[in-house]
Amino acid sequence: MPKEVVLIEVKGVTKIYGKKDNLFIALKDVNLIIPEGATVAITGKSGSGKSTLMHVMSGIDHPNDGQVLISGKDLHSMKRKEMDKFRAEEMSFIFQAFFVEANQTCYQNVALPLEIAEIPLRRRRTLVEKALGRVELGDKIDSKARDLSGGQKQRLAIARAIVNQPKIIFADEPTGNLDSVTGDRIVDLLFELNKTLGCTICIVTHDEELAKRCSMKVVIKDGEIIDLIQRKAVKTVTKSSTKKAKKK
Amino acid sequence: MKVIDTLRRSNRSLLSAKARTILTALAIGVGAFALTLTLSASNGAERFVNQIVSDNFDPAELIVSADEAVFNRVDTSKPQEYDESFGEIASQAGATTQIKQIDAEDIEKISQVDGVDSVREGVSVSLKYLTREGQKKYVGVVGTFSPYQKPDLLAGEIPESLGNRQILLPEGYLSSLGFVNPEDAVGKTVRLVMNKSTGSSLLAQAQSEQGINISQESLMEFQKEVEFSEDFTIVAVLKKPVTSQPGTELYMYAGIEDTKRLNDIIKEGTPGFQKYSYIFVRVKDGENESKLIEVQNKLKDMGYEAQSVKDTQEFLNQIIGVLRGIVITFGLIALIASVFGVINTMYISVLQRTREIGLMKALGMRKRDVGRLFRFEAAWIGFIGGAIGSLLAFVIGSLMNPWITKKLELGDDSLLVFDIKQIVVLIFLLVLVAIFAGLLPARKATKLDPIEALRTE
Ligand SMILES: Nc1ncnc2c1ncn2[C@@H]1O[C@H](COP(=O)(O)OP(=O)(O)OP(=O)(O)O)[C@@H](O)[C@H]1O
Ligand SMILES: [Mg+2]
Repeated sequence: MPKEVVLIEVKGVTKIYGKKDNLFIALKDVNLIIPEGATVAITGKSGSGKSTLMHVMSGIDHPNDGQVLISGKDLHSMKRKEMDKFRAEEMSFIFQAFFVEANQTCYQNVALPLEIAEIPLRRRRTLVEKALGRVELGDKIDSKARDLSGGQKQRLAIARAIVNQPKIIFADEPTGNLDSVTGDRIVDLLFELNKTLGCTICIVTHDEELAKRCSMKVVIKDGEIIDLIQRKAVKTVTKSSTKKAKKK
Repeated sequence: MKVIDTLRRSNRSLLSAKARTILTALAIGVGAFALTLTLSASNGAERFVNQIVSDNFDPAELIVSADEAVFNRVDTSKPQEYDESFGEIASQAGATTQIKQIDAEDIEKISQVDGVDSVREGVSVSLKYLTREGQKKYVGVVGTFSPYQKPDLLAGEIPESLGNRQILLPEGYLSSLGFVNPEDAVGKTVRLVMNKSTGSSLLAQAQSEQGINISQESLMEFQKEVEFSEDFTIVAVLKKPVTSQPGTELYMYAGIEDTKRLNDIIKEGTPGFQKYSYIFVRVKDGENESKLIEVQNKLKDMGYEAQSVKDTQEFLNQIIGVLRGIVITFGLIALIASVFGVINTMYISVLQRTREIGLMKALGMRKRDVGRLFRFEAAWIGFIGGAIGSLLAFVIGSLMNPWITKKLELGDDSLLVFDIKQIVVLIFLLVLVAIFAGLLPARKATKLDPIEALRTE
């Protein structure tokens, strides 16, 4: 196994919400190293700071102290424009509530990151078709998102997340709004993408089963990492295939 | 994000809220509607005025009088001292005002002025009546034809120099004088009957000789004595004039020699003999405005009143301008009201799309592009409103035009003249107004924190 390349390095990050009398420390001196190609499960009780950590790692929230290095580059000292470019090209998001635009077609939803990254129009169609094909929504390309089922909506969100081939996908409770069968299929899909596309995936989850399949498990309590388990990524593949077989 | 993609997204988001978009746009449309109609009406009015002026006046001519009362309102509240050399005109509400007239001496003096090409007297002859064999008698006025008039003809043609008892007959007299059609009238003669003004002094004389009770016979006798008539040949029939000066619709026209001769016969022996309220002074190269003004100033220095066609035109256009200003103000008030509508709609749009904005920002959309997204949206609303309003004005105006034209008796001209360039500029301005209205909501969108936005359920 080749030596792991560090993709994200969180160094002494502290995040404080509120002002003066009403201070709330959401993250306390958090340190974390995520290697390239990893699947990371961030777990912990509600309100422990999981989402906050993810927002800080992706640059949409700013820490009060500490650094986040992506491939050695300090994310929070980037200029706005540079940060926007980075977010448009290198990372992507999947949310619990999908956040797909119901009034728009699947094509229009998935094309959004490509438009933001200013990918020329003629290349967009093929990229969108490819991404939708991966999540098995190829035949829905011109359907309105409102007509999709919950699971299909989340698959659409995944297609949107992978269409621009990002290095990192942040998923905040991607199965939280889905029934367990549909949720499992979504998770399978994420692991498959990790394997085939090699993208690093950070998943915030309450699901212990899911956490076990990840190469890394981060447990947060009251803004501090209290447990960190590293596993081999290979395991997930076997497990997912056995699970699939069981269903049939 | 590329501008074209931003545009497409704004367009799409407007389409997904059609009712809201259309209603907001309609508010702008009301302003656009009013402004388009106003502009087209004043275009038409201006064109109409210019048409009247250029159809009836020679731009190289000045109208000259010895008394400002010819051009301006005079104070009729104070008594005017009688002056025998003055003529008289009836002024507003029947009060009479004497006006100082131009006589042979004045004409001589004015002809000598440097730059003056020629002078012609302003003469019109009031008939006692006109008639034709076997027809009734009708009152009428014969004006002097100016070679610069370009009336529309129904039949016949106007000879190069109208004269020799030739007359142009207005359409309105045709059936009254027993003609079946315009062609029928051409070449026929009409009889013009007039009274010598000396008649009144003759009557006074007869009264003093015979006492108050003049016998019927001597009255008839006396009438024959003061009455005279001439036969004129109709050379052309005038179409009911559209762009004539108001009140001259039933004017017959004859050449200057004829009208002057008749006028002299009528006025002979009275103080008004060979005196005129106004004359036309043709200026050498008077089409050149500076030459015209030069002579105009010279005449004014000599104590005459002189007006050019331009002065009249400008005066009329000024009135139109004031009216236009009033309606435009109302249009603008409607627009200001619609600005608040746009602000409101855009705020709602930003609120409704908080999550979408948050997502776009999380995905790395530039602040600049987020703002642009909403400014475009506002611009679209402005464009749709402007287009709907002015299109509606255009359609309704075009449908109403024939009716308005008929009501106002404008003939071939139409009151509403739509100018595409004007409409394009108007729509462009409305787009700017809408963008201006969308600035604050767009700013709110750019300032939105993606985390806050994504938290909203
Ligand atoms: N803008 C804010 N102002 C004040 N406190 C905040 C703010 N955002 C988050 N917090 C607090 O920070 C803590 C961590 O929030 P976070 O959203 O990271 O929790 P979480 O672990 O993702 O919880 P959940 O599993 O319920 O999503 C919570 O106690 C929350 O109340
Ligand atoms: Mg959370």
